[in-house]
Amino acid sequence: MYVWIWRRLPGGVPGKLLGCLVLLAGVLALLFFLLFPWAERRLPFNDVSINGNTTSTSSPAPTPSG
Amino acid sequence: MTSTTAPATAVATRQPGDGWRMAVRGLGQLLITCGVVILLFVAYELWFTGFYTQQQQDKIDHQLQQQWTGNGPDVSLLTPDKVKLGSGIAVLYIPRFGRHYHFVVVEGTDYEDLQKGPGHYPGTALPGQVGNFAVAGHRTTYLHPFNKIATLRNHDVIVLETKTMWFTYTIENIPNTDIPWREIVVPTQVQVAYPVPDQPDPNAKPSMKLLTFTSCHPEYSASHRYVIHAMLTEALHKAPGVFPAALTHPVGH
Repeated sequence: MYVWIWRRLPGGVPGKLLGCLVLLAGVLALLFFLLFPWAERRLPFNDVSINGNTTSTSSPAPTPSG
Repeated sequence: MTSTTAPATAVATRQPGDGWRMAVRGLGQLLITCGVVILLFVAYELWFTGFYTQQQQDKIDHQLQQQWTGNGPDVSLLTPDKVKLGSGIAVLYIPRFGRHYHFVVVEGTDYEDLQKGPGHYPGTALPGQVGNFAVAGHRTTYLHPFNKIATLRNHDVIVLETKTMWFTYTIENIPNTDIPWREIVVPTQVQVAYPVPDQPDPNAKPSMKLLTFTSCHPEYSASHRYVIHAMLTEALHKAPGVFPAALTHPVGH
């Protein structure tokens, strides 16, 4: 897979290296800004609050749920 | 991770088994890639999420300061339903976590709220009020405001700054009740954040001014919740030169 990509990148070795960097940056951006935030919500380890029938405790008004 | 083993260039004629070799190599690279992506995800969770939180904290802090110097409301005089979700309500100081530790507590414990900082359970008491000022915070991600929650000790203090007041809460076994200063509960045990914590009635009439923190437990897991209870022990009106003793004498190590 990586060999295949390397063969297809244009511009000799410098061009190929540049191409690799651009591809890498693109993939990282995709992961960090789209895939990871999406995956994170589906995984449990960021749950820090307590929630049975959540926080509708006593107080004056019903809590808005956002 | 470019060409690994195969003699890449000089293969002119196809040899038996080339297909297999390519498939195995492709699979290997795929697996290595998956491993790297998973490691990157860990890095994202532990560090990268903090950048977002820091940026949001700066923003909310700025808004809060503006509100304090302007004619914004004094949060401890509001009823809990009047606070806008996602807005900053008070600045939190915990001397045990270091001299420079401070976070703006935001209203709400939804996912988006907790990405911005420690979140106040909507509907629970506000700082300084009778009832239970309950706050949830991340322990390992999003700048992990409660990362060191397990280092808090009985009689440590927690300070909250509002527009006009300094509130000092002291972690302790709440007098004349069964409420311990620290407990580890299952995530569904909402009673810890009730106005009168740790009893079955969510509408029990509170008489004390309490504070409750929740975070995940054990660290990096979400199977339980680490809970801290504290009681209001000092309320100072803000004035030049007036600071809670707890902030001028940091706890020693």
